[in-house]
Amino acid sequence: MATAKDFVARISHVDGVAGCLLIKNDGVLLGQTLKDPEVYSTLMLIGGGQANDIMNKIGFSYCRHLSFSRLNNRHFYVFPIDNYFLGVVQRSDCYVPDMLEAVYRLIGRVSTTRADASVLTNDFS
Amino acid sequence: MMHLIDELKVIPGVVGACIFDTRDGLKVTNLPVIFKPERLNVVGKHLAKLYSAGRMSFNDLVDITLNYDESVIITRELEKNTLIFAVCDPSFNHNLLSMSFNLLQEEFNSSGFAVAEPEPLGEVQSPVAEMNALEPPAEMKRSIGSDLKPLLDEMKADLAKILGPMAEFVFDEAVEEWSGNGADFTRIDLLVEQLEQEIGDEKKATEYKQLIAPTLKNF
Repeated sequence: MATAKDFVARISHVDGVAGCLLIKNDGVLLGQTLKDPEVYSTLMLIGGGQANDIMNKIGFSYCRHLSFSRLNNRHFYVFPIDNYFLGVVQRSDCYVPDMLEAVYRLIGRVSTTRADASVLTNDFS
Repeated sequence: MMHLIDELKVIPGVVGACIFDTRDGLKVTNLPVIFKPERLNVVGKHLAKLYSAGRMSFNDLVDITLNYDESVIITRELEKNTLIFAVCDPSFNHNLLSMSFNLLQEEFNSSGFAVAEPEPLGEVQSPVAEMNALEPPAEMKRSIGSDLKPLLDEMKADLAKILGPMAEFVFDEAVEEWSGNGADFTRIDLLVEQLEQEIGDEKKATEYKQLIAPTLKNF
């Protein structure tokens, strides 16, 4: 099993990723390549919690990720991974389906639940 | 308002949509009946909190998308306190829906949904309605004067230093409740007390009071 820092380093090298961070679900920062991790980590905790509540209320089974789309095209993604959250900021010029597929492939290697890229072909582009 | 969201439903992969007001709840929906209104209200509240948190982190936030195994939910703020959200199949075309949201937002704003609709002229009012007409409307009682707005904006910004992204949501709710009995500077201590309760931590509440003290003193 890769260490948190190895994992963060690998995610940050994915083509199209501007930076990333990994936090535990209690908010502890495990690794990051972004300048202002506090801005993102709070949003990840709130976002993950709200997405989970919606999932339970409607009866969905699994939250793959949530994304915050921005005018500057540096969209922000939050991936729930077991008891962790991975946050990814995309580069504004990236091809999103390829970036997401690569991130999901890496998540699939460390997650004990699951992650696949089968439905990732219709996100932002 | 229904025709606005009915136009979204023709987009391949879009199951249906809702317009949700954070004060009045669900305004309109064309989702299948399996999505019960009370559940959609709860979902709307969660999305409003999420959007509020997102806006605190990114002031250029446009949409939030939640990707679940079965469906995708995409939401956007049409105006303050009003969200639209659509439930879609995972195979939906995100760009097409996003563009449709842009058009819908323009129509929403231009068609007068974004402001209070005027009473139709020529209707005969009942005596009770005439008496009520003499009373100032609730919105007028609650309105925040332009002189008070800069102060409240500063107080909100200070609260963000204490509570982070949830501050906007917490502050707006507290102000709405407080202003129900008159948005007046002479009652500002009541708003501060309310915010202290919302913070829920004595140390942080004291820190907040220290932050806003100069602002209140100089007002």
